[in-house]
Amino acid sequence: MKPARLIGSVILACLAASSRAETALVLNSGDENISLIDTASYKETGRAPACKEPHHLMATPDDSSVIVACAISNELVFFDPRTGQEQKRVKNISDPYQLGFSPDKKWFVANSLRLDRVDLYKAADFSLVARVPAAKTPSHMAFDKASQYVFVTLQESDEILAIDLKTQQPVWKMSVGPTPAGIYMTPDDKYLLVAIMGADYVEVIDWRARKSVKKITTDKAAHNFLARGDGRHVFVSNRSMKGSISLVDTQTLSEVEQYDVPGGPDDMEIRADGKELWATARFARKVQVLDLQQKAVSRSIPVGRSPHGVFFLKHAARR
Amino acid sequence: MDWLVDLFVSAQGWIFDTLVQPLLFAAGMASYTEMGFDGVEFVLLGTIELSAAFVLLRPLETLWPAEKWAERGAVRVDVLYSLLNRLGVVPLAVFILLAPGFGELEGWLRFHNVIPHQLEDWLPALDYHPLASFLIYLVILDFAEYWRHRLSHTFHWWWALHGIHHSQRQMSFWTDSRNHLLDDLIAGVWFACLSLLIGVPPGHFLGLLIALRLVENLSHTNTRLRFGRVGERLIVGPLYHRWHHALDLPADPRFRYGCNFAILLPVWDMLFGTLYLQDDIPPTGIHEKTSAEIAARNDFWQQQKLGLKQFAKALFKRNDTQRSA
Repeated sequence: MKPARLIGSVILACLAASSRAETALVLNSGDENISLIDTASYKETGRAPACKEPHHLMATPDDSSVIVACAISNELVFFDPRTGQEQKRVKNISDPYQLGFSPDKKWFVANSLRLDRVDLYKAADFSLVARVPAAKTPSHMAFDKASQYVFVTLQESDEILAIDLKTQQPVWKMSVGPTPAGIYMTPDDKYLLVAIMGADYVEVIDWRARKSVKKITTDKAAHNFLARGDGRHVFVSNRSMKGSISLVDTQTLSEVEQYDVPGGPDDMEIRADGKELWATARFARKVQVLDLQQKAVSRSIPVGRSPHGVFFLKHAARR
Repeated sequence: MDWLVDLFVSAQGWIFDTLVQPLLFAAGMASYTEMGFDGVEFVLLGTIELSAAFVLLRPLETLWPAEKWAERGAVRVDVLYSLLNRLGVVPLAVFILLAPGFGELEGWLRFHNVIPHQLEDWLPALDYHPLASFLIYLVILDFAEYWRHRLSHTFHWWWALHGIHHSQRQMSFWTDSRNHLLDDLIAGVWFACLSLLIGVPPGHFLGLLIALRLVENLSHTNTRLRFGRVGERLIVGPLYHRWHHALDLPADPRFRYGCNFAILLPVWDMLFGTLYLQDDIPPTGIHEKTSAEIAARNDFWQQQKLGLKQFAKALFKRNDTQRSA
């Protein structure tokens, strides 16, 4: 091989590797820190101090930061999604557990699972607009496309609650199966999918009619959702020790595949090319990497206690 | 080290999956899954800590005892208390009784726009130095424990309960957990209030508890082991704490309610005038005044009954249950 061609090949190989290499952030909710993982080598490269009980995270709408919710230390910590470096702290955000931006990017919503409340903030400056009572244990959230409502699962009262963002008032509640956790709006804005953690199914809610229309059986302890990125399918983590992840078709409203993912799979993240799904294993102190072509766990990455949120920047579209 | 963590996590997962999770699901309490999993960790660590205490401290009681006993029958009730405590029965009961009330209180505070300040609000550097943070919380908790302990000797109604802990005449490393259940509950309220006030990091909680428990097991051990002139002033040891349990208190009026109240650091006794160091080894226990008290010495249920009775009595007749000096 000619030297010029050799050098070119090396550069191309490096570029290919670097395009895949980035930092994944994993929240160790029991350790008050985050694990930084090199997504190319699948190795933990370090841990950054975070805060008391970091459970959930999400990127800002412009992807410039990842916001970590600190349920006990009443703050949000912002990290650079590329490096995992801390950027800033926003104090006096009371016990945030689950976070969400409304699709119109006007609202930032924080559920306080521990203290039975949903807080509505202006997304522009995180100033508090309203605290909405939400007994008991408001857990996950979803929005309608028009950003008129935020829907919240109430884990201990087996309900979902709809809050009108314009009036900042709760507008209705409806009963669902035992211990609802994750909640997801289908891409057509028609149904809410609710993961029924106290059983083994996803409940389909026609939210405009406030009616339960179907139960999609998945596996024990159905817990959380992540869109595959194709505008049609969604992953459901089934968070038992044995553990699995289901793939649900939001058009046929049925489970199409199921993968064994042990250790209590919880939050998930998917590569931009759709080939790998990462899931935090709450009960195993690991991140499980699911090879979606082989349909099996290909790697287990040791992290800290009770890993919960997981994020990397180059992910598939959230649809 | 990784294999040890893997082993621990596997055991925790197996117990959780086999025993705890099925019960939670059957009871419609899937919402408590994470708490149940953490509870298994708490019990496992408690078991490991108690096993370590047994392996390390029991030989000291055999090889260098402070007192030689013909038989150890009186110790059995303290073993029961330790198992109830370390296997999570007492902490679980305290949690179930206290958690709803504290949740309500915190929730009410939020709706009145009160977010209690935490230590990190004054010392932001603690967010970035976990070890320093752990040590500072340990010192604060130990300070609070000194005062809780001292007050339990000062208030008549409290001493009516805490006296059970002192009624053991064969004090051993098991005696650490010998507490009236109501006394445990009060200690739980004390700790929860402090946690709420300063924001004890949940990730530190188990480590802090184990550090305190290990030293408490050691300080109750029936051994002549001593730490020397300096060491006895740095950390609470068996001789130091034995004087706290002495059958006859020092004559000085400063020690009217007792001496050496510190749990971990003697500095609190030095600062607040309750330090008493002597080389001789005193017998332990209290001077019981009634046959009921003597009968309760080694009987769990009698102790619980007697504690409650004397507690109620002390609320009305102030001096009846005061410690004999």
